[in-house]
Amino acid sequence: MGTGSRMDRRAVLAAAASMVGATLVPLFARASAGTIRFGLTPVFLTSDLELLGRLQSYLRRATGFPVELVSRRTYQEITALLVSGQLDAAWICGYPFVAHRDALQLVAVPLWRGQPLYQSCLIVDRDRNARDFQDLKGDIHAFSDPDSNSGFLVTRALLAEHGLKPPSFFARTFFTYGHRNVIRAVASGLARSGSVDGYVLAVMREIEPELTSQVAILRRSEWLGFPPIAAPRHPADPQALAALTEAFSRMNGDEDGRAVLAMLRLDGFVPQETSLFDPIAAKAALVAGAG
Amino acid sequence: MIARLDPRQWPVTLKVPLAVAALMVLVGLALSERVLSRLGETQERQLRALAQTYLDSLSSAVAPAILRDDVWEVYDAIMRAQDLNKNLHPLSAVITDAEGLVIAASDPRRFPVGVRLPSDLAPLGAGRDFSFETGAQFATATHVLSYPGRIVGIIHATFDTSHLALERRDVVLALVATNGMVTLLLAVAGWLLVARMMAPVRTLSRYLGDASEGRATLVPPEAVARNGAEFARLFLAYNALVRSMYEREDLARQLADEHRLGSLGRLTSALAHEINNPLGGLFNALATLKTHGHHAAVRKSSLGLLERGLVGIRDVVRTTLALYRPEQAPRPLAMADFEDLQLLVAPAARRKGVDLRFSGPVDVLLPLPSTPVRQAVLNLLLNAVSAAPPGSEVAVDALLEPTALHVVVSDHGSGLPEPAARLLAVGGETGGLSWGGGLGLWTTRRILDDLGASAEVERPETGGTRIRLLFPLIAPVELAHVA
Repeated sequence: MGTGSRMDRRAVLAAAASMVGATLVPLFARASAGTIRFGLTPVFLTSDLELLGRLQSYLRRATGFPVELVSRRTYQEITALLVSGQLDAAWICGYPFVAHRDALQLVAVPLWRGQPLYQSCLIVDRDRNARDFQDLKGDIHAFSDPDSNSGFLVTRALLAEHGLKPPSFFARTFFTYGHRNVIRAVASGLARSGSVDGYVLAVMREIEPELTSQVAILRRSEWLGFPPIAAPRHPADPQALAALTEAFSRMNGDEDGRAVLAMLRLDGFVPQETSLFDPIAAKAALVAGAG
Repeated sequence: MIARLDPRQWPVTLKVPLAVAALMVLVGLALSERVLSRLGETQERQLRALAQTYLDSLSSAVAPAILRDDVWEVYDAIMRAQDLNKNLHPLSAVITDAEGLVIAASDPRRFPVGVRLPSDLAPLGAGRDFSFETGAQFATATHVLSYPGRIVGIIHATFDTSHLALERRDVVLALVATNGMVTLLLAVAGWLLVARMMAPVRTLSRYLGDASEGRATLVPPEAVARNGAEFARLFLAYNALVRSMYEREDLARQLADEHRLGSLGRLTSALAHEINNPLGGLFNALATLKTHGHHAAVRKSSLGLLERGLVGIRDVVRTTLALYRPEQAPRPLAMADFEDLQLLVAPAARRKGVDLRFSGPVDVLLPLPSTPVRQAVLNLLLNAVSAAPPGSEVAVDALLEPTALHVVVSDHGSGLPEPAARLLAVGGETGGLSWGGGLGLWTTRRILDDLGASAEVERPETGGTRIRLLFPLIAPVELAHVA
């Protein structure tokens, strides 16, 4: 299978979803009136039930609206729901955000180590003797998600800068649909190298050191815009969205909010200009140009 | 040593426990074989069922991912299945496509994605989906994922079965320990039982051994009562045998005594005859002396006659006294004893008209008890005289050798009957009685036995009987004394 063709299909699907969403929102966007539906992608560790419970509890209290958290396996599913207006907001990746910039608006961007920025990392086995990404030629490579910036776009853009494409550079690639799974794939030897979110890797180093100790970082990308919280450009309930925006910006002032931030190892959420994601948009354009 | 190694020489108390132990070992081996065989079957059945469950669940989990070519999902499903089936102890699972290229494996470093699975790591041949050797460290299973029309993948799984091998080893140890203990217990029990059962036999054997050495004793009643009915009967029978033996010996002794009394009676009558014969002459001499005593010549002749008659009577009485005084201390045998015999037998010989002839060493004292020798020879002599036809000769020849005295009694009678000859020469329990020929020979035989002497019966072609007695001397005599 070709990653490129898969991407094309996804782009088409996303565009179609945005068009369909725009027309069908009034009919079934809201599962129940007055409920905020918030989508989550594997940009962070969605497996922690305590985290989800606390986040839900905080958002419900801070917004005054019932909150429903919606998780899906892939970015694509959440992005499609968001663009089609079936979600009020979602924590998505910068790559789908720039891909659907016309249909979405920024709600907030997380602050990590004081910056709304993160890196993408190329990881290899701890004992592997590789110095440059060129050494990864012929690898079995693990990507996180085809709609992930750090887990796919950055590496693909890096190859494109050198006139390369994943199918010809790597012997084989596969998607794990989770940054943690990329780390597991490389640690177990299933993949020889992987593309992973630098923020997730850093958090994992704290909570699963025995797993992350088996991998080494070969290359870090430049600093890029942290995966943002986005909403449809035309929200179904602007009042609810305003409450949600407020809730994220004031997360530091609440005990549940602080607990959630502590678990996420984040400093808070801040409003940002969409230009923060211009470097990602440039990468997307580069990749699209490379074909 | 060799006799001790021969099992036929071993005592029953050893043989039975050994036989019991050997049988138990055989039974133990047979049972153990069955137990281990069943254990192996059970282990394989359980393992096969678990493996089937594992493979089925893994198949359903990976099949859609294989169809989507989703390497990660296949790997994740394998790892989840490994975690979920810990009781099966999965060692490794490799999923290949129909061509044998690895799609994903539980150990990707060993089986990298896209590499052909080495043929030696896919050990199961066509048609075999499960392989488990009892006692082996691992088992292997293969499962083909097929959708109608095509094979989408093959699962090769290995399972750690060292815990089953360990369980089997524990069972083997338990069997060995149990069988060993039971065998030992039964062998000891067998030994005790046989020793107890054989105790009466050993007792009887001891009593029989004593009896064979001439010290037959009765089994005490309490010892009889201690044993079961079978052995009690045996002991009672043995006691009856011992009693009858003693009774027979008593009877024989009585008979011997009676015979001696009978001989005494015969001798007494002979003695009376011997005394009576000269008495007529003596009374005649007395009458002559009364009537013609004044004639010196007559007186002298009559007194001489009286003296000779009295001397004869004295000699007869003295000889008889000497013959029947056995309680006296043994007196060495002298030639005079043979002369006494001549005196004792003479009346019978005279009546029968038989000549007596004696020959032997002169005036030698032999280290032999005189009384029994004299009685033995007397018995034979009396028999010879009674058997001899009138006018024939009965001879007694004594011949001295350094270690023995030969006494030969010969007559010209009709010959000693065969049973009598056998009784004399060989001996026999009650031969004399059964033969009915009187106690003389039987008594003689007893005397010979007592003295350690032997007898030979010869029948010379000239007729009659020649009986040769051989008395070993208690101490050798010098041949210089032999006349």
